[in-house]
Amino acid sequence: MSSDDEDFVFYGTPIEREEEITTRKKKAIAEASGQLRTALPPWKQEVTDEEGRRRFHGAFTGGFSAGYYNTVGSKEGWTPQSFTSSRKNRAEVKKQSIYSFLDEDEKAELEGRSLGTSMQFDTFGFTAAELARKQAEKEQQQRPSTIPGPVPDELIVPATESIGVKLLLKMGWRQGRSIKDSNRNSLYDARREARKAFLALSDNMSSQIDDSKLEEEDAGNDQDLPIGSNANRFSKTTPAYVLNPKQDLYGLGYDPFKHAPEFREKKRLRMSGDKEMKPYRSLSIKGKIGPGFGIGALEDLDAEDEDVYASGYDFQDTYVQEIEEPSRVNVDTLRILDKKKDGVLSGFKVATNSESQLERFDSPVIPKDFVPHHKFLAPLGNDGKNAEIPPPEVPAPEDNNLKVLIEGVATLVARCGKLFEDLSREKNQSNPLFAFLSGGNGSDYYVRKLWEERQKRGEQTKLWEGKKPQNSEQLTAERRGKILGEKALEKSSRDSSSLVESAASVNIQFKLSDTFTKPASINDQPDIRKPFLDDPEKQKRFEQFLKEKYEGGLRTKDSGGSSNMSEAARARERLEFEAAAVAIEKGNSGKESKATSQLLADLTGAAGLQFITSGIEKDKVQQDEELITKAMYPKREEFQWRPAPILCKRFDLIDPYMGKPPPAPRARSKMDSLIFMPDSIKTANVEEHISTEHPSSSVPQVHNGKQGGEITDKEVASEVEVENVERPVDLYKAIFSDDSDDEEENTTSDQVEDTQKKIEVANTTLNRLIAGDFLESLGKELGLMVPPETPISEIKAGGRGPQKEAVNVDKGNGDPLPSEKKRSDSQYIVGSSTNGERTEMKPDNLHKSTDVFLSAVTRIDGGQTADRVSVGDSSKGRFPNAPGEERDLNTHRTLNRSQSSSSSEDERSRKRASRHRHKHRRSSTPDSDASSDSDDYRDRHHSKSRRKEKGSSREKSSSRRHSKHHKHRRKDSPSRSHRSSGTDHENRRRKKSKYED
Amino acid sequence: MSAANLPRTEANVLRAHEGAVLAARFNANGEYCLSCGKDRTIRLWNPHRGLHIKTYKSHGREVRDVHVTLDNSKLCSCGGDRQVFYWDVATGRVIRKFRGHDSEVNAVKFNEYASVVASAGYDRSVRAWDCRSHSTEPIQIIDTFSDSVMSICLTKTEIIAGSVDGTFRTFDIRIGREISDDLGQPVNCISLSNDGNCVLASCLDSTLRLLDRSTGELLQEYKGHTCKSFKMDCCLTNTDAHVTGGSEDGYIYFWDLVDANVVSRFRAHSSVVTSVSYHPKDDCMISASVDGTIGVWKA
Repeated sequence: MSSDDEDFVFYGTPIEREEEITTRKKKAIAEASGQLRTALPPWKQEVTDEEGRRRFHGAFTGGFSAGYYNTVGSKEGWTPQSFTSSRKNRAEVKKQSIYSFLDEDEKAELEGRSLGTSMQFDTFGFTAAELARKQAEKEQQQRPSTIPGPVPDELIVPATESIGVKLLLKMGWRQGRSIKDSNRNSLYDARREARKAFLALSDNMSSQIDDSKLEEEDAGNDQDLPIGSNANRFSKTTPAYVLNPKQDLYGLGYDPFKHAPEFREKKRLRMSGDKEMKPYRSLSIKGKIGPGFGIGALEDLDAEDEDVYASGYDFQDTYVQEIEEPSRVNVDTLRILDKKKDGVLSGFKVATNSESQLERFDSPVIPKDFVPHHKFLAPLGNDGKNAEIPPPEVPAPEDNNLKVLIEGVATLVARCGKLFEDLSREKNQSNPLFAFLSGGNGSDYYVRKLWEERQKRGEQTKLWEGKKPQNSEQLTAERRGKILGEKALEKSSRDSSSLVESAASVNIQFKLSDTFTKPASINDQPDIRKPFLDDPEKQKRFEQFLKEKYEGGLRTKDSGGSSNMSEAARARERLEFEAAAVAIEKGNSGKESKATSQLLADLTGAAGLQFITSGIEKDKVQQDEELITKAMYPKREEFQWRPAPILCKRFDLIDPYMGKPPPAPRARSKMDSLIFMPDSIKTANVEEHISTEHPSSSVPQVHNGKQGGEITDKEVASEVEVENVERPVDLYKAIFSDDSDDEEENTTSDQVEDTQKKIEVANTTLNRLIAGDFLESLGKELGLMVPPETPISEIKAGGRGPQKEAVNVDKGNGDPLPSEKKRSDSQYIVGSSTNGERTEMKPDNLHKSTDVFLSAVTRIDGGQTADRVSVGDSSKGRFPNAPGEERDLNTHRTLNRSQSSSSSEDERSRKRASRHRHKHRRSSTPDSDASSDSDDYRDRHHSKSRRKEKGSSREKSSSRRHSKHHKHRRKDSPSRSHRSSGTDHENRRRKKSKYED
Repeated sequence: MSAANLPRTEANVLRAHEGAVLAARFNANGEYCLSCGKDRTIRLWNPHRGLHIKTYKSHGREVRDVHVTLDNSKLCSCGGDRQVFYWDVATGRVIRKFRGHDSEVNAVKFNEYASVVASAGYDRSVRAWDCRSHSTEPIQIIDTFSDSVMSICLTKTEIIAGSVDGTFRTFDIRIGREISDDLGQPVNCISLSNDGNCVLASCLDSTLRLLDRSTGELLQEYKGHTCKSFKMDCCLTNTDAHVTGGSEDGYIYFWDLVDANVVSRFRAHSSVVTSVSYHPKDDCMISASVDGTIGVWKA
């Protein structure tokens, strides 16, 4: 402004105008002037409208003003439009055009750009006529005439005459005459069509122009009526040229029937056919509402959308069926048939020999003795098993209990298959009684017994196969009674019991489902059928078990067992049931029923022996449990719950937590824990300190046994290197540091000069490192004692995870080439030294402040704890009744499982690594010289390492996968050299000895 | 009130819903009633004259619950489309749609001042939505449930919600406590007694349980009906003398509140009775069913 003052001279006092200029305007002006002076770069300039408001806003700025000023423009624009319409007061249809959505400038733009025919080239005067009509309508609207409705367009004479008309007039043509009358007749139809189409078109136009529906209707009436009467009159005029509205989906100008005009007619016919069908179709469409209407495309209909009430109500089926499709097909086929009959699809003729005749095959002749009934063969497995070489006969073991057990298990296995054997083996791994399953005492006997049982089973099934038709043939009441062992007149006592009834129903069920595989009547011996009569609950479960057993298929998890039974109890009971079932079957087969019942008794007895609890005891326990559950519910618990302040406000209550700090946000994801560093940083520090000590201890070996231990060199180098790879900090640095290889190179060359400066720093850090040594030994202890599950040790180990692997790899490879060794030697040393520096740098940083690395450490920590938390959540579980929930849960679980499995794997590798590390350390620590030596060494290159690390870390992190590539690189960088000069060595010696004192 | 006064005779049958009616509710003074169902509509009725007044259509899936404010000016509804709709009764417009539930919303209620809508969802959460502000974010999310939350009740100071995890939890806003009452059985529906001291919870083991809210002790169990797989309502009569509820076989049961014996039962519908609502003053009751009808019952 000062420059303005200088440039201009003002006379008099300026009139103080009222504050009509808004501040915005001022700002805009100021900015405009400012821009004039100091041309801002384009990205700093601000676009404003003429009012000085900001025109464009960022994605997250602007807000109200952006919406209000830029798009809505008025307060009315915000309020949703209401629509009210009543019988008396019909709502007016508001026509919206594109103009109502455009800004002024856009309107102007549109107006300027819109295309139109100029009056001069309006050959036939249509545009003029239209314009005139529009004009007339407009006028009519303005001053309604006596005749309501728009004037029929025939009455309107074009206001201007086109040049063509003018010419024609000059040539003697007059309005209303056709130019060429002679072929009027032939053109009659075409004209009429054209006229109709034109009317339709103009009708559309007028409707567009019309503002009220009423008028439109009138117009429609007016225009519809005169068609017939007008036909004559219009025939006289020149045929109106009417554009065919494009109704197909072909490209512009493309005529699919160009070379086959016969089909055009066909198509037209079909179209007209369609038109007739239209009403039906529309009706049917109306009738059916899409099932997922109003639902986003992403929300697919799945199981939860199934109609749970389907059984109760079947309105879904009452939808109008789509009639359209089949009828159309019918029409088509009919037409085709017609054509076929005539043999006239013009241009075609009937083929003399049709190749499309379907080849027909006669149905196979059914032999006379064929019975339409399928007989199932004996189970497939039987033959193969029978064909097995029988194992040698083995004397039974002396221990009767064991014998009984083996026999029982053998029968069960024969009955239920190999799976059972595996299961029981797994279950009873520790039980010495079951040693026979895994080749222990009595295994030979078991094998023999198993084979025998299988044989028996095969026989049994065969036996049943033979029996079956007989059974179904004639089963009189007495006969059945005999089979069932019923006493004819004694049914009063037990038959009435509900138990028998339920058993019978069960029997029926599995008779039905198992006709094929289990034709034998299992209810032969009702007594044996109910081995647990003294315990109705158990009996019930047993029945359930039987049912499931014979129904086949997958068994439910808790087959019949009440859910509050323990896993062990259930397993026990299951064994019992199995045994009982087998016993029953044996009894059914009619052989030694007594013996089997004896066996059953034995078995249960044995089970009682070895499984400690007997059935009755269990039952008692169960009843108690039930009582307890009864007593347990309802159960009341109280928790702290913090209502949101706004909720309190809305409920008109005082916030009970008012004034108290908001609850700590829960770290839900790894990202959250990334941001909120937990307090474990401190401990992590210590641990980190310890862990950083370690590589140093291995480095000195390089110096001491440089000539002798090349392999160890290699080991160390690779170890340390890979360790670096695993450091999370490397990853972060790799991401956030700028990667330039030359920088690294520079630093290596600069290093020698830097060393002198570093010595002071080294002194201070060495002091710390003494403490570090102590901590190291502590850490060693800790590392050995503390289980690696603790997050901290995990981290510590995580740093070195793959260490051992790398070493192994190197060892496995052996020494690649002797010629390479020398070079690689020096390189490795370089690598190790850099690594030493790198790790050494950390303690320093620890003292300064939290480092990226540390935060990374805590990140991992947090992440893992978060994982654990989530696992805990899921394991808390939900109610199993809701299937959907279960599904959710499953996903949770799988997620967690995958996480935990991966983490556990990590852990394992870490454990291994840490173990190795400790070993290694132990081997290296005796060489105290070397350790301090290395410390010193690291110190020297301390600060430089930071720069260096950028590059190296990136390299390392990338080399995680491409270790080969990495090696190559190392080899290819000869600029790096062994930098431990003799003087340095001397220095270090001195220092070290001092510390040793 | 004696058993004779129980509403057992059919006064009207309201038919308009296509498909199952999932809920029917009287308004605050019992003059009107609202129903919603699988046909994605909410319907307003005059049950006493059997008149269908208005239909509210906007839901994309079935509507599971509806509630109206004390002043009859606003509705809220929820359903399978995971949204809670806030309606203007007179115009039938949706004022706001509250999105946030991760799955179906089972129940919805206004608070006393109609300033908050609380909804209970299959996503194991109860959410409170602010009707006063323009925000469509929930002002409170309660996610301590471990299974689908089926039903919700609001008092002046509390939010009570029943869940399939077998609990119903009372969230006392005034003292900032959550009280969880574990019934051991999936809770299908909860309803408050008219004096507000008891909670009637319908469990999926075909039992209604009446609990004292202050102590959490079980006062009575009501059995006899079938309720094993459907979400079905139960309620107390306006005098708190009887307990009523539907059954999956289409019957409506009345139990004596104290004696817990079935006082009366009659076949009301041909299919599952999904919802019952008792008139706040008169001996009148409405019941909704899967068969698509709403029965109006009077003494």
